Amino acid sequence: MAGGPQLPDAAKNSPPGNSFLEKQCLPFLTSAQNPNGGWGYRPGSQSSVEPTSWALLALAGAARSAALEKAIQRGAGWLRETQLRDGSWPAYAGQREGCWVTALGCLALHTLGVAPEAVANGVAWLCEEWPGEGGFWWRLRHRLFSRTTEIRQNYYFRGWSWSPGTSSWVEPTSYALIVLRNARGLSLPRRATLRVRLGEGMLYDRMCPAGGWNCGNPLVYGVAGEPQVGPTAWALLALQDHRERTENQRSLDWLAHEYEQIRGPGSLALAHICLEVHGRPTPPLEPALERLYLTNEFFHHVPVVAWAGVALSPAQPWLQWAPREVA
Amino acid sequence: MAEKTARPLSVSFARAASRVAIRRAENYQADLSGLLFETLRELDPPVRGKTVLLKPNFVGLDALGVINTHPAVVGAAREAFLRLGARSVMVGDGPALERDSEAIVETLRLRDHIGGKLTETFIDLNVDDVRRVPLRTRASALKELYLPETVLRADFVVSMPKLKTHHWAGVTLSLKNMFGIVPGNCYGWPKNILHWAGITRALLDINSTVRPDFAIVDGIVGMEGNGPIQGTPKRCGVLVAGDDAVAVDATCARIMALVPERIDYLAQAAYLLGHIKEEKICQLGEAIATVRTPFEVLKSFARLRENR
Repeated sequence: MAGGPQLPDAAKNSPPGNSFLEKQCLPFLTSAQNPNGGWGYRPGSQSSVEPTSWALLALAGAARSAALEKAIQRGAGWLRETQLRDGSWPAYAGQREGCWVTALGCLALHTLGVAPEAVANGVAWLCEEWPGEGGFWWRLRHRLFSRTTEIRQNYYFRGWSWSPGTSSWVEPTSYALIVLRNARGLSLPRRATLRVRLGEGMLYDRMCPAGGWNCGNPLVYGVAGEPQVGPTAWALLALQDHRERTENQRSLDWLAHEYEQIRGPGSLALAHICLEVHGRPTPPLEPALERLYLTNEFFHHVPVVAWAGVALSPAQPWLQWAPREVA
Repeated sequence: MAEKTARPLSVSFARAASRVAIRRAENYQADLSGLLFETLRELDPPVRGKTVLLKPNFVGLDALGVINTHPAVVGAAREAFLRLGARSVMVGDGPALERDSEAIVETLRLRDHIGGKLTETFIDLNVDDVRRVPLRTRASALKELYLPETVLRADFVVSMPKLKTHHWAGVTLSLKNMFGIVPGNCYGWPKNILHWAGITRALLDINSTVRPDFAIVDGIVGMEGNGPIQGTPKRCGVLVAGDDAVAVDATCARIMALVPERIDYLAQAAYLLGHIKEEKICQLGEAIATVRTPFEVLKSFARLRENR
């Protein structure tokens, strides 16, 4: 990894006996890498930014070997080549417009300690990319014409959208907040502080009444939305600076309560990562993942295997940071 | 390789009448395979030697099957198409709100109904390979979409929605169900770009570009009120099937005691995509009047009711 800092120390020590990580996750990820260096959502499918970013983050957190190092280098190279001129990343190489995966591309390269310029350009794009809702004219039009009983939201708070020019949603906002929190070593654009404040505000505004998050609809026509595992885990990871807030604690309670009912390995891995980061007790993950793997082999889904790999690796600095001093 | 975009559009007066079958099915323990096989044999869809993609409406983690197309109906349709000589029958969906498709199909126990390994019969369209497709109409400003290869390569696409009301579109049936082919890996969860493009307009563009060849609606237990997720279960006891998705949806609307011509997207779809008028729909099986079950709609859609 020319010129880049070394991987975090924690990544050098895979816990002994972590056989699912070593026997399933890492071999799967290395064998699923495409000849161009990227990963698709499944082995043999088109390279795409999301699975490539998750695969790189999983490999970065695992035990080091020459083979893994080479896979990481090739993957990072594909990511750098895929970045668009405006600093964003498209979902797939060849697409002309950047989208939500930009945060993931930044996170992967920054964690690997490579291509700081590419990361800075990506972060700058994130700070300049506003969602479609919430601007002055949009708010005026919304106030005049919308049926106010449909949705209750505070449009002052804005996060990040899945596609440019559309509404803020929980997951892309969480990804962007995690990147901005990780990228503090870089000289961040002036707007970063404002974007973090508005993004965090948007997440709290969209929390389900009983705790937890779904994609971002906490209340429709007066009926409370049901929280979901994935969005809840990502939102709680993004809001780590506010661990003591009752909203965080209530949402953690919901996630801990839900844990035993989780049927999908991706959701299980994300819930485990989140609860561990927040110091909540969790049952051993490996037997549960092994059981689920026997069912459908995780549908050969690269991000799911990568999340399982991250969950089984020692805590990684991009996921867990020291609490920020909040003024 | 067959391409879904190849099926021609035609104005309504130039089309032959469509055929829609209504079958009674009291519950999900009934012999749905036999019922659907007989129905399909009568409608005779051209599936011999073809690859068939069943596109159910899988929305979320709901074991009772009220918000999702019931897996028993999906399994019965798969068996019926195989018996009719289809080369392969895959099940694929891209849920709009829940990324964890594996959790959805496991909660539904889909494996118990479609047999074999799920990894070989179910495809998550949200994470499938994609291809750029210019849209065949310009109802919305979208112009093009990236769509899943599995959908574009299938010879025969069957839309399999649940009979539900919808808080933004009025009803969600065969045409609205096609939103689920738009991949989350490009457009997110939900596919918010379609809402910003306008639900009605985006629906027309998607259905004109990837036209469902057939539709089977699970109306055994539907949903009324604040659908498609937070509504109330409504027992209706029917399966509705046909080779024209517009005609199937119009028939379903009439069963729900709603006026199809007042449902924006359906009225507009009738120009190019299928028949909405009763006289242009050849009804098989039960008559609408015998299975008619009025569905509650939100106040904002009260104008859709028959007696308004």
